[in-house]
Amino acid sequence: MLEVENLCIDLGDFHLRDISLSVEEGDYLTIIGPTGAGKSVLLEAIAGFYPLLSGRIFLDSRDVTHEPPERRGISIVYQDYMLFPHMTVFDNIAFGLRKKDLPKEEIKREVKYIARELRVDHILHRKPGTLSGGEQQRVALARALVIKPKILLMDEPFSALDDKTREKLRSLVREVIAEHGTTVIHVTHDFEDVFVLAKHVAVMREGRIIQFGTPEEVFSRPQCEFVADFTGTNLLRGKIVGERNNLTMVKVGSTILYTVDKAEGNVTLSLRPEEVILASEPSKCSAQNVVPVTVESMERRGYHVWLSLSSDDFSFRAVVTPNTVVLLGIKPRRRFYALFKASTLKVIK
Amino acid sequence: MGRLSFKALTIFMAFLFTLLLFIAIATLFFVPSPSEILEALKSEEMAYSLRLSLITASTATLLVILVGIPVGYALSRFDFPGRSAVKSILDLPMAFPELVLGLALLLFFGKTYVGGVLSDIGLKIVFTKLGIIVAQFFTAFPYTVRIIYAAFEEVNLRYELVARSLGYSEFETFMKVTLPMAKNGLFASTIISFARSMGAFGAVLILAGGSYMDTEILPITLYLNISYGNIGMAISSGIVLVIVSFLAILLFERLEGGGHNVVRG
Repeated sequence: MLEVENLCIDLGDFHLRDISLSVEEGDYLTIIGPTGAGKSVLLEAIAGFYPLLSGRIFLDSRDVTHEPPERRGISIVYQDYMLFPHMTVFDNIAFGLRKKDLPKEEIKREVKYIARELRVDHILHRKPGTLSGGEQQRVALARALVIKPKILLMDEPFSALDDKTREKLRSLVREVIAEHGTTVIHVTHDFEDVFVLAKHVAVMREGRIIQFGTPEEVFSRPQCEFVADFTGTNLLRGKIVGERNNLTMVKVGSTILYTVDKAEGNVTLSLRPEEVILASEPSKCSAQNVVPVTVESMERRGYHVWLSLSSDDFSFRAVVTPNTVVLLGIKPRRRFYALFKASTLKVIK
Repeated sequence: MGRLSFKALTIFMAFLFTLLLFIAIATLFFVPSPSEILEALKSEEMAYSLRLSLITASTATLLVILVGIPVGYALSRFDFPGRSAVKSILDLPMAFPELVLGLALLLFFGKTYVGGVLSDIGLKIVFTKLGIIVAQFFTAFPYTVRIIYAAFEEVNLRYELVARSLGYSEFETFMKVTLPMAKNGLFASTIISFARSMGAFGAVLILAGGSYMDTEILPITLYLNISYGNIGMAISSGIVLVIVSFLAILLFERLEGGGHNVVRG
């Protein structure tokens, strides 16, 4: 278990301010935030690469604040692999084990075991320069995992890979991490990593952690506009006006929306863009909220199309697949109905 | 059209200059008669000078590399007070005329307390063979440190961080990761250091004296014989200098082997 207490760091270009964090054994924490927020610096500080201005770091209740990195038992995987080019794949993976004075046979066995798990057992004799990006990152993971680290740190481990490789490696990582019960802290800018891998997520901005929670909490109940904006969550402002069928009625402009949350007075509501369904007719379905909208603009990002929608009273964003765009004939200026369940509209304050 | 003729002009200049240089070097080999050169090569003076050159330049190179590696590493990896001052001062001898460098060394070792103490404990540097090594060391050092520094800069710091996280101390990481990864640059710096040491003249002349069959290295042989009018001997020492440097480069490239495909990242 890792505990970070009031950690401050000043590296000139990067600052970390008063970071406190607790990561349980077997936890999977992702750290998200804009470029320059200090995510990588935080990782490297936990690994012991930077002197702290103040604060303390505990690992399994032991104060490791002044321990050098080699005595912490925390391994790290970088975006650009950092495989030692002058060693074979085998020697790269065995590197950490060799420091432990294990018998040769045991090193060989351990390397082969982890190599098989990460599917690099067929390239053990090769030099890193001859491998593909996906293979290199699997070797880097094997090298970091084989020493059975107390914590595995990953700094945007999939961002140098193409979409297909990234997806494959992500599910492989999920398998292997679950198998080993490794505690992980993973810096990413890809929300897919958060949804697929994380148990917890921390949002960083300007050297601070501004929100911490489960992915569900952070993405559907952002505590400030910045987190809402960064995670793409829609924020609506309204007023509670009553109750019907056990649902809370909120008035946003002149539109009445329904939420399952209980609250009073003026409220801020959040709505995840992927929870919004578009329909050409106001069909009867389980969604309590049906809002007529106009498509203002659309933008393709990876596998998804982001739509900016506006109703008479408010505007918000929705995510659909390119398939849906073709099926419904979604185009700017066209009118549709936006449907979302009362359970997806959350009162956040 | 303009682009084409500009291209042609630059290529023409490249060929013209290379041709001039090539002819100049070739002249060295073809102007004197072969018998004259052979005679000079067999002389006692030449044997002495070549031997002394090889010994002093090798020793100086070894010292330069031994001192240059920690200095280059410190400059590349650590931020310490006075770092930029250290860098600038180390570069100074490159801007100095070699003669002035020699003069500075002569005054330091001959006229100061430090020089006196060194002399008292048996390290006589002024007008001695040891002085040759010292002069070569100071001539070659700035160039060598620059290359060593650049070689360490090429090694991404994160390789070291990964090694540290896998249980290796700073020094172990340096030996197992940084040094092997900077290998190419270190080989290059060795070649440069040796070539600079072999060719060092001005500083050697002033500090070590350049006396016949005593502190006489190849550049001094060339200089002394030109002064006496022994053209054959002078040219021969020039040829030997060129050949030794060329062989050194070949040898080092051989030793370096297949290391040129180092992946950097």
